[in-house]
Parts: sequence; structure tokens; C-alpha cells
Amino acid sequence: MPPPAPSPNPNPAPPDAGISRRNFLRTSVVLTTGLAALAASLKPLLDMNDFPTMERFLQKYYKEMTPADMEKVLKRITDETEKQYGLRPHVRDLKPMDGVEFVYCLNLTRCIGCRKCVHACVAENNQSRNPEIQYIRVLKLPHGSLDLEKAEHDYNPEKVPEKGFFYMPVQCQQCKNPPCVKVCPVHATWQEMEVDSAGKRKGDGITVIDYDWCIGCRYCEAACPYWARRFNFTKPEIPKERLNPDMAYLGNRPRRQGVMEKCHFCIQRTRAGRYPACLEVCPTGARKFGNILDPNSEVSYILSTKRVFIQLKEEMGTSPRFFYYFDV
Amino acid sequence: MNSQTRTRLALTGLILAFLALTTLFLSNWSRRPVRLTTIPLVNTNFLDTATVRRSYADLVRAGEDLSDFDCSVCHEKGKAPPLRYDTNQNLIVPKEHSDIVMGHGRHGRNNNCFNCHNETNLELLQTRDGHAVKFADSPALCGSCHGPTYRDWEAGAHGRISGYWNHDLGAPQRKQCVNCHNPHSPPFPGRQPAPGPHPLRPMTASVEPEPNH
Repeated sequence: MPPPAPSPNPNPAPPDAGISRRNFLRTSVVLTTGLAALAASLKPLLDMNDFPTMERFLQKYYKEMTPADMEKVLKRITDETEKQYGLRPHVRDLKPMDGVEFVYCLNLTRCIGCRKCVHACVAENNQSRNPEIQYIRVLKLPHGSLDLEKAEHDYNPEKVPEKGFFYMPVQCQQCKNPPCVKVCPVHATWQEMEVDSAGKRKGDGITVIDYDWCIGCRYCEAACPYWARRFNFTKPEIPKERLNPDMAYLGNRPRRQGVMEKCHFCIQRTRAGRYPACLEVCPTGARKFGNILDPNSEVSYILSTKRVFIQLKEEMGTSPRFFYYFDV
Repeated sequence: MNSQTRTRLALTGLILAFLALTTLFLSNWSRRPVRLTTIPLVNTNFLDTATVRRSYADLVRAGEDLSDFDCSVCHEKGKAPPLRYDTNQNLIVPKEHSDIVMGHGRHGRNNNCFNCHNETNLELLQTRDGHAVKFADSPALCGSCHGPTYRDWEAGAHGRISGYWNHDLGAPQRKQCVNCHNPHSPPFPGRQPAPGPHPLRPMTASVEPEPNH
């Protein structure tokens, strides 16, 4: 049988298509509108202006920095702050003192709920004013219970204290067993307390945040049972005349958008031997602060003689360094 | 409907959709980001660390007018001024001292001037057991009745402190009883609370639409 004759090509080459005028116009319109829509949706990127400088991008981890590195970093922070706020700050890196462990005691009999501590803290620690970030939340609770479900924090009567209520300010409790530190995926927050192999403890116990290392994942905020951590959702806004120029690296230096912050026992004051700002402004003297390792300090006296009734949410096992007590 | 018509329809639909999206994006129809409400700066009164009152020692230190403590201008020295009581045995405060509210102790049980003031020398205070106390040393007088509180105050657990917790670096500044308590009416006065927390976004629906930008 002879091989079949080759059949003609079933798909002959189409006639030279070229680009018809109609096709060209149609495609152009589709492409142009598509590109315009894409550009419009990407427009918000143009508003981004907080790109890190190379120096900040390459900065080392706090605990690995040499004093020379730190000096450079402090200079960078000083310059950046001056550029942004028009005020040259005094930024230091304060280390914990030997033989000092901080403890805070708060007298619930004396607190009248006036919230002066809240605002003294904001002023001292350069929190954003707009939106306003506050480290301290004053809870108003009815007498005879400590059910936080019954607490109210946005009370605003003409005069405090109100009859039948007591007030409980809550801020970072500086736990000995801090859950926030455990969940941080990048070790940007840690407790300033190291136990060496001989069991010797070193550090004052403040849980700090390196704002340059924080990635803003907010795990710590979720882990904290005291709702003590705050997130910078927007770029912090501080008027120049309200900026506190006395700053510390781990303390109140200005933060960026997208980082966590919280009470750090006014590291810039307490590591220089002074009392925290919330204590100094308290009109009733309900707040007490000091070194628990010193048997003559006020806090030692309070913890040994007063009716210290709680560490808040004791059952969490966080073991706070913040104690609430009563006078009588 | 042949395939060419279908294609044409699909393409027209796409063009319209893209056009609509473009208008939406450009007109910022969703009004994002929502502009935050401006929060007023807190009144600096709330940041003031001054005490509620000023003690005799403060006034001396500041070199201020001490005429309130100069009793012999009106009172005769060495002679106890007479006290008058109404029918309920409540002290009648003379009009020269009308700024004084007698409220020390409940039920008016402590309404006798000479429980604390020295009868014959009004520029001195005196404890119940007869010890004379100067105005500047008034905590000793208060402590003669309020023992436990005095003990706490001495230990630093009662009352205000400022300055340095670390006594090697600086001195803590103590306050006296009368810096906070009015001796004639000691309960700590109520005060206006500072503004509370501000929510990031207004909680109510009454948000003013922002003007076009």
C-alpha cells in the first residue's frame, strides 16, 4: 500500500494579521486604564517617608554594642531628634546599678484617682500626644470588691474621690517572670536581670524595650495580662515645647511609628538615683518607690509592716515588682 | 451570540470596571485613612508637683509674708483669748478668723483651739501633755496624737517625697503634715480629675466628615 499522500496543512498560516486600528485602540484603552488603576492603588506608598537611614538599618543588637558603637548610636539619635523636633536632647545609655532592685508600692487607701500620675508620665516619657498614649490606667472600682470586670477607666466626675469607690492605677508591673519577654520573636524586649552560674543576680529588674530592634508584631501586647504595653499606630506627635530633653536609650527617647512602648520605671530618672515622675506628682503620696535590697528603704518598710494584699493577677505567676497595699 | 461579540462584551465590561475603580481610588471614596480627632494638650496645672498647701517652714524659706503667724498684733501676750460656744457646744469662730473651718475630728470632738495652740503664747503650739512646739516643728504636735501615721511618715511610707531615692546621689525632700492637711480641717480635699484615656478613633458615630483635600 503506498503511503498516504501528505495531507494539506490543516492549520494554514493565518493571513498576515498585523495590528488593526480597532485592536490597537482597544488594547491601549484597556492597558491605560489598568495601569492608571494600579498607580492609583499604589499612591499611598508615596506618603511613606520614614525610611531608616543606613546607620539605623545596620545598627547592632543592644547587648552586643561596644561603648564606641553606643556612642555613635546616641549621636545619631540626638541628631535625628534635633532634626525632627528642633531641640537638642541629652541622650544617655544608663546601666543598672549594683545591688539595686526596684520595687514599686502603691497605697490604695490614699489614691484619689486624680490621674495626675498619668499625665506626669506622658510629659516625662515623651509619649505621643496625638493620638495620646498613656502608660498608666487608673481603674475606678466599687468598694468591697476587686473584680476588674467592674472597673471603669473613663470616669470623669467633677471631683474625685467619689463616695463608695476606690481607685487603682495600673501600669507595667515589671514582672519577675514577664510573659511579654518570652513571646518576643526578636528579643527586642528583655528584663534587666541576669543570673550568673553562681546564682548571683545582677540588674535592677526593669523590663526594657529597644525601640530600634522592635518589629512591631505586638505579641508582647497580647501576652501582657495587665494591658500595660502600648503600640504606636501612627507617627507620634509631640509639640516641641512639651518634649523632655533628658532622655535615655532604653527609656524615653522618641519612638517611631510601629514600635511598642510601656512604663520603664522612668529609667532616665531612677537609674540616676531620682524618683519616678508619677511618684513626684502624686498629690497624696500614695506612690512609693525604692530599692528592695536596701533594708532601710521605704519599700522595705512597707512590705515588712503594711497590709500588702496583692500583686495584681497573682495567679498568673508573673510575680510583679509592683505591690498594692492598704494603710489600715 | 458568537465568540467575537462575547469577547467584545467582556472587554467593554473590563474597561468599565477599571474606569470605575480608578475613579474610586482617585476620589478616595472610603475616606481612608480616617483623620484622627485632635486631642488638646493637657493643662499644665495637672503636671504641677507643688503640694496642696505650704508649711510655715516653706514660707520662711521663700521669705514670704508671715503676718498670719504674728498673733501678738491683735492678741495680748500672756493672756488667753476667750472662746465662745453656741448652745450645742460648738465653737463660734470669731469673724477675724472666718477663714478657719473647724473640722478636725469627727462630731466636733476637737473643737477647742487650745487642744493644739498654746493658750498664753499663741505663737507656739502645744501637745496635750504640755510640751511647747514651734510652728516649724508641727509634725511633732500631730504625731503626739497620730502615732502610727507619724511612724509611717518618719519611715517615708506616709506622705509625699521627691528628689532622690538613692541617698548617696542626693537628698530626698520630705514634706510636712501641713503641706497636705489643713490642721483645722485635715481630710485631703477632693479635686478635679485630669482627662482620661482618649480612644484612637472616636467611639461614637458622630464623626465629622473631613473636608476634601
